[in-house]
Amino acid sequence: MNKNSQLGAVLCLLAAVVVMGAVAVKKTAAAATPEKFIHVRVNDVSKGEMVSVNVPLSLAEKVIPTIHNGNLHNGKVTIGNMDMQDVDVRALLAAVASSPDNEFVTVKEKDQEVRVAKSKGNFIIHVTDLNSDSDESNKSDKSDKSDKKYEKRGQKVDITIPISVVNALVPNEKQELDLVAAIHALSNASEALLVTVHDGTQDVRIWIDSQNDGSK
Amino acid sequence: MILLAKLALGALGTVVAAGGVISSEGFVSVRVHEKKPGGTHISLIVPAMVLDTGLHFVPKENLQDASEQVRPWLPTIHAAIDAMRSEGDTTFVEVKEENQHVTVATRNGAIVVDVDDDGETVHVSTPLRAIDNAIDQIAAAGPKN
Repeated sequence: MNKNSQLGAVLCLLAAVVVMGAVAVKKTAAAATPEKFIHVRVNDVSKGEMVSVNVPLSLAEKVIPTIHNGNLHNGKVTIGNMDMQDVDVRALLAAVASSPDNEFVTVKEKDQEVRVAKSKGNFIIHVTDLNSDSDESNKSDKSDKSDKKYEKRGQKVDITIPISVVNALVPNEKQELDLVAAIHALSNASEALLVTVHDGTQDVRIWIDSQNDGSK
Repeated sequence: MILLAKLALGALGTVVAAGGVISSEGFVSVRVHEKKPGGTHISLIVPAMVLDTGLHFVPKENLQDASEQVRPWLPTIHAAIDAMRSEGDTTFVEVKEENQHVTVATRNGAIVVDVDDDGETVHVSTPLRAIDNAIDQIAAAGPKN
């Protein structure tokens, strides 16, 4: 009897250890949810320069509400007198969000093309400007002859923004943009390339992923 | 003989405890290596606690300007440092130029700045907790509101 109770106690202890272990593993798995980072990468081919900035979204989410400077308070940016001409932007966005994927606007000119579309829960904006004079700085720098081969390449901008982020950025009745809500929406969105700008010799990329050093 | 052993044990314990206290906040590490022949090589590893203690000896009037400037940003600095400490190792900024490479990163609870250019390499590592404490002390040095 005594042996049986000892055995019972040992089994209970083992069961407790197993349960605690399972709980710990579950917690670890929950904690191991990958942290999202926003990456900004600027490459200048002509100068051989690269600047890379990587910020954990959780850091931005914690730090921005503590900044009280200029128009930024409590994580919200107050914008000026933005006259929406009585347009209900939220209703408009809701209508667009619930509509099927589509290309809404296409503008083609001689040297410029603009496309606005919705695809897989994202707003997509493409702008191509073949006649961009954004390389003026390079043109004026006659000393750097190597820049000449990059001239006249034009400008190309691709923007992909999750609709949830756009929704979070719609100004409220106090004309405030909720940056923290937008960052929160970004961290809940899937890994994505948000912005690419190709401008003569420079390339700019902004994207979200789980890499802590932007090595992607 | 037993008394000597007890004394030795006490001294050893004190040394270990003192070492533990001194290194509890980590170490500030500075390395400068000039690449030219005969260039300077400096390598300093200082307990971060020295930074903390050293600030106690700086006359308060010398810290007042810094205090006034840092106070409005204290919540932001604390939030940023707390977030950086809770994150894993992260490379926040990297700049590569033709003959220069700069990184600002967090490594094992310290903020690490590395600069490598034609002339020299510089490495500075400071524990985030030490920075947090130092900023608190600088903020406290100003006049009480």
